[in-house]
Amino acid sequence: MKSEKKHLIYLAAGLLAAASLPFVITNVYYLHVINLAGIYCLVTVGLNLLSGYTGQVSMGHAGFFAIGTYVSALSALDLGVPWLPGTILAVLSASLCGFVIAVPAMKLAGSYLVLATVGFGEIVRLVLVNWTPVTKGAAGLVGIPLPNIFGIRITSEGEFFYLILVMLILGAGIARRLADSKIGRTFIAIREDELASRAMGVPVDRYKTAAFMISAAFAGAAGSIYGAFSGVTSPDNFTFDDSVAFLCMSVVGGSRTVGGAVVGTVALVSLTELLRAFQAYRLIVYGLILIITVIYMPQGLAGLMFKKHTREESEADS
Amino acid sequence: MQYLLNGLPLGAIYALVALSYSLIYTASGVLNWSQGDMVMLGAYLGFTFMSLAGLGFGPSFVLSMLLVAAVGVAVQRLILRPLKERGAPPINVVIATLGVAITTRNVALLVWGPNAQLLQSPVSSNPIGIGMLRITPQDLLILAMALLLMFALQYMLRRTKEGRALRAVAQDRYAAVLMGVDTNRSDAVAFAVSASLGAAAGILVAPIFFVTFNMGAGIGLKGFVAAVIGGLGYIPGAIGGGFFLGLLESAAGGQISSGYRDVITYAILIILLWLKPSGLFLRRRQQKL
Amino acid sequence: MKVKKAAFFFLVSVAVVGISVFCSYGTAMSADNVIRIGVVGPESGGSAQLGQGQHQAAQMAVDEINSGNLAGDWKLEIFFEDDEGNPTKSANATNKLIQQDKVHVLIGAINSSATLADMVITGRAGIPQITAGSTGSTITEQGNRWIFRTAVNDEFQADALIKYAKEDLGFKKIATLTAADDYGQSGANLLAGAAEREGLEVVSAQTYNNGDKDFKPQILSIKDAGAEGVFLWGLYTEAALIVRQARQLDLNAQFFGASGMAAQKLIELGGDAIQGLVLTQSFLPASDKAVVTKFVNGYVERFKDTPIPHGAQAYDTIYIIADAVKRAGSTDAEKFREALASTSGLQLVTGEPKFNEKGDDTGKYILLTTIEGDGFKLFKTIEN
Repeated sequence: MKSEKKHLIYLAAGLLAAASLPFVITNVYYLHVINLAGIYCLVTVGLNLLSGYTGQVSMGHAGFFAIGTYVSALSALDLGVPWLPGTILAVLSASLCGFVIAVPAMKLAGSYLVLATVGFGEIVRLVLVNWTPVTKGAAGLVGIPLPNIFGIRITSEGEFFYLILVMLILGAGIARRLADSKIGRTFIAIREDELASRAMGVPVDRYKTAAFMISAAFAGAAGSIYGAFSGVTSPDNFTFDDSVAFLCMSVVGGSRTVGGAVVGTVALVSLTELLRAFQAYRLIVYGLILIITVIYMPQGLAGLMFKKHTREESEADS
Repeated sequence: MQYLLNGLPLGAIYALVALSYSLIYTASGVLNWSQGDMVMLGAYLGFTFMSLAGLGFGPSFVLSMLLVAAVGVAVQRLILRPLKERGAPPINVVIATLGVAITTRNVALLVWGPNAQLLQSPVSSNPIGIGMLRITPQDLLILAMALLLMFALQYMLRRTKEGRALRAVAQDRYAAVLMGVDTNRSDAVAFAVSASLGAAAGILVAPIFFVTFNMGAGIGLKGFVAAVIGGLGYIPGAIGGGFFLGLLESAAGGQISSGYRDVITYAILIILLWLKPSGLFLRRRQQKL
Repeated sequence: MKVKKAAFFFLVSVAVVGISVFCSYGTAMSADNVIRIGVVGPESGGSAQLGQGQHQAAQMAVDEINSGNLAGDWKLEIFFEDDEGNPTKSANATNKLIQQDKVHVLIGAINSSATLADMVITGRAGIPQITAGSTGSTITEQGNRWIFRTAVNDEFQADALIKYAKEDLGFKKIATLTAADDYGQSGANLLAGAAEREGLEVVSAQTYNNGDKDFKPQILSIKDAGAEGVFLWGLYTEAALIVRQARQLDLNAQFFGASGMAAQKLIELGGDAIQGLVLTQSFLPASDKAVVTKFVNGYVERFKDTPIPHGAQAYDTIYIIADAVKRAGSTDAEKFREALASTSGLQLVTGEPKFNEKGDDTGKYILLTTIEGDGFKLFKTIEN
């Protein structure tokens, strides 16, 4: 009980600190990177529900992210749909794709599942490149309108920050709720022993499909805000490398907690920018840091930060 | 027919890379994403020995296979072993090997620059005709060398002490340890052999596909796909998967649309996996990453 | 436990070093009469050869101008950032250059999608941006007054090639084989448009994805369609592979290409099969123009490599900037933009730059050349 109160205090302090960020940081570059990290957080929080909790490793999440971006952007550009309904459309279409990919995926495990998700990501990207009448091909979409939510226009980096913060709090809250619920525990049970879960009468296929759809929905929502935030989008944003980057963020942070996704994403996005100082050596250093992190922090950064929490959780797991 | 013939050498290369994935997976249960970059390293080292040191094709081939094998052992010793000793989850191993891939690729960019390089082949690339069909001596060389390496691998696995140890570990790691097999050594052997297979594939494709620092990304992904479709960890499956993918790509690109070639390839693969979840040539089995 | 801590400290110290190096950039503001130029390009990733070619040539131009005092009493300071060819990272890099390095003008990017993403940032900040490598048509058609383009005009090239195929060679059936990226896709559209105007039939329009190594299926389709001329729109690596594989499959059509692939490497990699390929380019390495030989010889000497067109365009762009700042006498964004827009009378490597109201450089040379032996041979100069 006491620790829960403490948690709430931390949470409130964290939120207050976060909300005041745009007043402290006025550098547009920093805000831009923070906003980007926030959008990616939404993707990785969803990815953690699928890969971390349910154990279904996805190396094609850029595909769901792309669908969210394009559906929202195209419905705004071609049909004049405002941002909020566009986001709902994006979430729906992404989770529909999650359903479609879950059909073959629920029969697969391990590397076979990885192959199916890689294939999905590549299919989405290649369709975006080649279906030029609709997607405008490789050069992509331009002039994606800024969000206008019930008359509130989001234009500056600072305003985007709050929009993204609200969405992230919403997303992380839903994810936490899910993770702590019976659904979350079933996800973990499937990850730990699928056969046993099946034997216990758990409808494993249905839960796996749900995990795919929920995870895709997060990526779809992130995509919708991403398009409006960037103003332009193209298939170059959704390559295999981007899917891999999402997975790295999730694992570096700690894929089995919601907080881990946030920590890992913020760490890797800012690392990529910090390493600009290394010029030509930056990607070499990036690769080495990745290796060292996963060797010496098997539970991810979150494992170090929320040590007590993860220990509780790992006890619960075993 | 010509489409099928074109797919053969490509398939042989995919098969070699698929073998290198499969071998490491069988022997140490690791999905190693840096295999594609071993292909790239092999090609660059072959190029360096031939153009800069003036060695012949044969010696360059052997030398770069050996050197890349050493890189493979280094990856196993420095990265995989600590990960295993710490009992890291499989996903961490995947990320670590992705880290190896990123690092290797960018070191190559720094050392050899961004331009494509040409490696001169000992045989001609001018086609010879068999009736209406044509194939080049270089393609024949690729096929012959690939088959030779596959047989050499089979020999090594069945007839040598190291090979037997590998097979024992693959069958049952725990039992193998009880029988006195040094799994660390067998892991190192698997990494060395896999890396050198990749290097061989690299030198074989270099004359027809050129050498670039990021060639590993494409070839590595295709090799992985071939390994999985054949049943990861099943050696004959990897070979079958490689040729199957080569022919499928060639046919998909030729008969339907070139832009959508990979879309069709991946879609067919996903549907095949749906129908046969443990690869084309393997019976159903519980798999874990 | 200990190791965990050690690793944590390692990460923290990396971050600290990073941040301190990073912040020192911002403070490295120098004296008056300095114009700071930011360059964004793909220095790693799939199009690294273009980004590095741009980087090297731009650096060389800056050094020449500074050591020769060619910009009057102005000094040039240049900052490079890598975008890996990724639009998101390109926007980050642009933001960094503007906010941290306080650049007055941005050169970049090369991939059109990245350039479009950068334009959102420069447009918002009100900073002139010159792309020396992107050819996508949407770039200059958005009414963005801050964008200029010194990349060659692909429309003129497509027209020149198609006209040559029709009038001089008498072709009736042609095929296109283009990259499925923004460069190739816009090239394919321009070729199709030009062919329609000239009354040529496009019997086969094939594409390939970047990184592809096997083009035999496309080549066989083109062969079956009976094309007399095959128009390539892409980079030299793929072009060299295509002509080699075409020869293996006995496709005896005339090949054409545009400036994007014009590099000495094309001839080296293409071998015998590349001989006779006709391509348009904006400068001839073996030219007798003093400005061209100075650039080519200087580049070869300094980088032990031959320049690519993207390098030549970036080199010229730096000279355009130097000239503009000299005339503007200020780095004020509005004044500098005005000076850029009224650029005229310069004799540079790839042309005599002159911008139209959309920001496109209409003064580029268009030379019809063919590959003969180990060099390009000029046979026709097209007047705009």
